[in-house]
Amino acid sequence: MSIIFRLAWRNLWRNRRRTWLTAGAIAFSTILLVGWVPIQFGAYDIMINASLRVFPGHAQIQRRGYQDKQKIRNTINNAESLATSLRSNPLYEGVSVRAQGFVLLSSGTRSYGAQVVGVEPKHEGGTSSIPGQVKEGRYLSSIDAKEIVIGRALARNLKLKVGDEVTLLGGGKDGSVAAAILPVVGIFESGSNELDRFFSEIPLHTFQNIFSMGASAHTIAIIGKSVDEQTKLISALNNAISDRSDVIVLGWEALIPGMKEAIKIDKVSGFIFLGILIAIVIFSILNTFLMSILERTREFGLMLALGSRPKRIAGLMMLESALLTMIGLVIGFVIGSALVYWAHVEGIHYPGVEELAEQFNLPDMSRIYPQMKVFNFLLGPITIFVATNLAAWIPILRIRKLEPVEAMRTI
Amino acid sequence: MTMQLNKVVINFFLIFSFGLILPCSAETIDAKAIITAAMNQWRGTTSHSTLSMTIHRPDWERTMTMDSWTAGEKKSLVRVLKPKKDSGNGTLLIDNNMWSFSPKVNRVIKIPSSMMNQSWMGSDFSNKDVARSADIIEQYIHSLIKTESSEGHKVYTIQSIPKEDAPIVWGKEVLRIRDDFVMLEHTFYDQDMKVIKRMLTSKIGMMGGRMVAIQQRMAKLETQNEYTEIKMITAKFDINVPDSMFSLSNLRNPRF
Repeated sequence: MSIIFRLAWRNLWRNRRRTWLTAGAIAFSTILLVGWVPIQFGAYDIMINASLRVFPGHAQIQRRGYQDKQKIRNTINNAESLATSLRSNPLYEGVSVRAQGFVLLSSGTRSYGAQVVGVEPKHEGGTSSIPGQVKEGRYLSSIDAKEIVIGRALARNLKLKVGDEVTLLGGGKDGSVAAAILPVVGIFESGSNELDRFFSEIPLHTFQNIFSMGASAHTIAIIGKSVDEQTKLISALNNAISDRSDVIVLGWEALIPGMKEAIKIDKVSGFIFLGILIAIVIFSILNTFLMSILERTREFGLMLALGSRPKRIAGLMMLESALLTMIGLVIGFVIGSALVYWAHVEGIHYPGVEELAEQFNLPDMSRIYPQMKVFNFLLGPITIFVATNLAAWIPILRIRKLEPVEAMRTI
Repeated sequence: MTMQLNKVVINFFLIFSFGLILPCSAETIDAKAIITAAMNQWRGTTSHSTLSMTIHRPDWERTMTMDSWTAGEKKSLVRVLKPKKDSGNGTLLIDNNMWSFSPKVNRVIKIPSSMMNQSWMGSDFSNKDVARSADIIEQYIHSLIKTESSEGHKVYTIQSIPKEDAPIVWGKEVLRIRDDFVMLEHTFYDQDMKVIKRMLTSKIGMMGGRMVAIQQRMAKLETQNEYTEIKMITAKFDINVPDSMFSLSNLRNPRF
């Protein structure tokens, strides 16, 4: 062990109170930083999962160009056989075929424009939470049943109850008039106002009949194991459709660009908070160091007089700063990660979220589980370490200006 | 009251412009009268016509044949004859109200105002285009911006800007009308005064005793290979069309 290290260590504990205060400030901010980022990212996971599971899914297979122009003629041929082949891969938790059209729904004298989706009743539950959110009546029974389920607000606007008939009027794939009368068998509350106000679902084969679609459909929605495995999911899907040039795979970022933007904005505000926190820590450390150097001017003068070079003293100060920071970081990191781990296992319970999640049919939303990732953990501590050591430079530069004789005279 | 009075005045003016002013001097004619006359030329007081509508897309095309009756500016009825699959589907317009009938479900459905911007029968015409074609007279301020001569006819270019309080999505519309009141071109501009879509007349001829546009094509400026073309097959004007033609019961059960 070099003499510099021993000196540094001894100097640190010469003023215990000052060292512990500084180390405590560092430890406290480390706890915050270690906890903050994983919780923030954990909340994004929940946000993404919650909205993706309502309807869009983690990814969709569509005909090239359908996302921009959702026209009824932009279809995937033999969509069901493609979906069946996808289902053999255990990577996908849910795969469902959908056909979508814009129609006029009418009940007697009232009419509203609405989105109608042809779905596979057996598989839709794997990619969408709507089948589980039927609050009145039941969900669609079979793939060719002549029936419809509609959103709560739409039902209210049309003055429809379960058992009433609704007329559907739109344009088919061949340009013909698509029209049908279907009984309402269920009313759902998806939790999304937009969906409840203009969304309805009918069985896929019924849709294909009404809209002269043959065996084609518009989208295949896929839910993977988790949002974290998105890259794996997308590449597996791209492999699966490599022999079909007419379709493409779109991840949720492309399907709902707004959500990615929202997360980006939130991340920025999160990082601004982190920046302020780090700035406060840096100033407190800067203050401590400046104080300790001013206090020790006499000591430095003596060291200079004994023949130490300013560089050597600067090195000593750097080491002191690094040691001090490390003490704070280790304490903060141990406490912080223990807390995050506990939260990761137990979940953080927000009062009220449980009822909300139940209403949205999202059981896994009742608790926030912080993301356990090395990057999230180390981001805060590394920033503090680098920043404090940079801050230590400012007082250290003063040492070079010291004149031994004058310095020794100061009290 | 003033509105009513205005209408009477306009009607008078119309009759005059038709009967008197036109043969004397076309110079004195004003922009609004030209448009009104063009609308009248196109519909007459009443009309019955058979027309075909072709919806063209790069990879797909579909032609429908339909029967159409009109009475004045406010009433019209369109019924699909061919293809067989859609035969019997009808649209009834009274003022700006629109009803649709489909024999498949045997129901009459009123088209809500929120759906008026949707495409009519899958074409490049919106429901609003079909319903509001006569609105241009009253809801716009017209000005004659150019008069030119072409193929022995005078051609008027008229710019129509919606009045402040008019429920119109367009920034302006520019119409080119020949001196025998055949509409040659109708261009729709958005609020930024950018051309959005244009209807062009490609064939003019005598039909039902008057000069009319026989073939017209509507296309968005950005997608010229996607268009809707309307061809007049037969037309009769100023015939006796009973008022009961434009009723919901006739839309459902054709009697004429």
